Amino acid sequence: MTDRDNTYRIDIVDTVTVTASPDKTLLESLESQQIDVQYHCREGFCGACRTTLLEGEVEYTTDPLAFIDDDEILPCCCKPTNHLKIKLGF
Amino acid sequence: MKYTTFNQQNVNQLDEPMFFGNPVNVARYDQQKHSIFEKLIEKQISFFWRPEEVDVTRDRVDFQKLTEPEKHIFISNLKYQTLLDSVQGRSPNIAFLPIISLPELETWVETWSFFETIHSRSYTHILRNLFTDPSSIFEDIVVNDEIKRRATDISKYYDDLIYATQLWQTQGEGMYTNEGQPYPVNMRELKKKLYLCMNSVNALEAIRFYVSFACTFAFAERELMEGNSKIIRLIARDENLHLTSTQHILNLWAKGKDDPEMAEIAQECADEAKEIFMKAVEQEKQWAEYLFQHGSMIGLNKEILCQYVEYIANQRMAVIGMGQPYDVTSNPLPWMNNYLISDNVQVAPQESEISSYLVGQIDSAVSEDDFADFEL
Repeated sequence: MTDRDNTYRIDIVDTVTVTASPDKTLLESLESQQIDVQYHCREGFCGACRTTLLEGEVEYTTDPLAFIDDDEILPCCCKPTNHLKIKLGF
Repeated sequence: MKYTTFNQQNVNQLDEPMFFGNPVNVARYDQQKHSIFEKLIEKQISFFWRPEEVDVTRDRVDFQKLTEPEKHIFISNLKYQTLLDSVQGRSPNIAFLPIISLPELETWVETWSFFETIHSRSYTHILRNLFTDPSSIFEDIVVNDEIKRRATDISKYYDDLIYATQLWQTQGEGMYTNEGQPYPVNMRELKKKLYLCMNSVNALEAIRFYVSFACTFAFAERELMEGNSKIIRLIARDENLHLTSTQHILNLWAKGKDDPEMAEIAQECADEAKEIFMKAVEQEKQWAEYLFQHGSMIGLNKEILCQYVEYIANQRMAVIGMGQPYDVTSNPLPWMNNYLISDNVQVAPQESEISSYLVGQIDSAVSEDDFADFEL
């Protein structure tokens, strides 16, 4: 599923398409491409970075404690496992 | 229903609702109806800290250098936070423990309250360092009108629930009158009071601390009162976790994943709950006005602080399905995030080397090479 350079495509609804590497958290990948995402704890317990996941799958590096709905992810503690379509803000 | 400290009936804890089921008997955590509370307990315990670990001696020198309006801001915030943590250090125990039916939730509430008492102790630690005798500061908390007004709103929902629970547990359902006031006691009323109380606690943890947090971190941005700021960072990290727990409780109810009657009540009382939240937001904005009445401080003013409260409120209301009623889309105080990152909280040196450091950890991995220089 990975591209040649071993990255995943992240479509951000109504903005841009960026790339994410599987060895960084999604939040770090977005920040490295100047995408502004709200965050606080960066450890999965506050929920400030809550993002809607429209397509694709992620895997968590730590168990998310914050409340997230079935279609939401916490970029601070997950990595993409394939191409994603996400919507920032909620 | 009479409360018992050890319910001798055999109940399946996995079938109990969070509140108003059978009283808890065995405190067991091998099985959980809502595993989130067990995870929150573990996380909270891993955050354990003591105020004395933070050196605040330099703050005394810094404090003398502050202008009079800045001193007013600093001390008023400490007073307000002292009030909040005084309430939170006891009320969840008194209000929720007698009606909780799940062991993991019971222990979460106890752990949560215990950390609030650490916060209260840290205010004494900070004030004792700034003043030879901090009595006048503490005494003003029950006299100051601005603080009293907030205290009324914070404690009201707790007190209502506690009194109704006491009537129910001692006398059962019925209509009671005390000092000319009617008190209807039935399960529906009790659950409504619980729902409103939980919303008020959620608003407290979500909004009420943030004006004072912002002021504290604004001082720290100017390299002032840094000992105090380190303590407040630890407090902010804990409060974030407490907020997560009330958000989970409210959402478990609303989504029908716990007591089905609570899902009905969540719908029925949606407007009232939203009002509680928005009133807290208004009171915080008024607090900002009170703080800055004698003059602002560098890097902060009333307008920007109010925008920040609205920004935070939008996020926190969205989580519990209340929408985003305020018209602020970007973070007006981006530097706040640097103080709210859990990683930036100062920890013991050995902990910062290995992020997963655990006290008393045992390394059980033994390879053959470990015996290489071992001779019989």
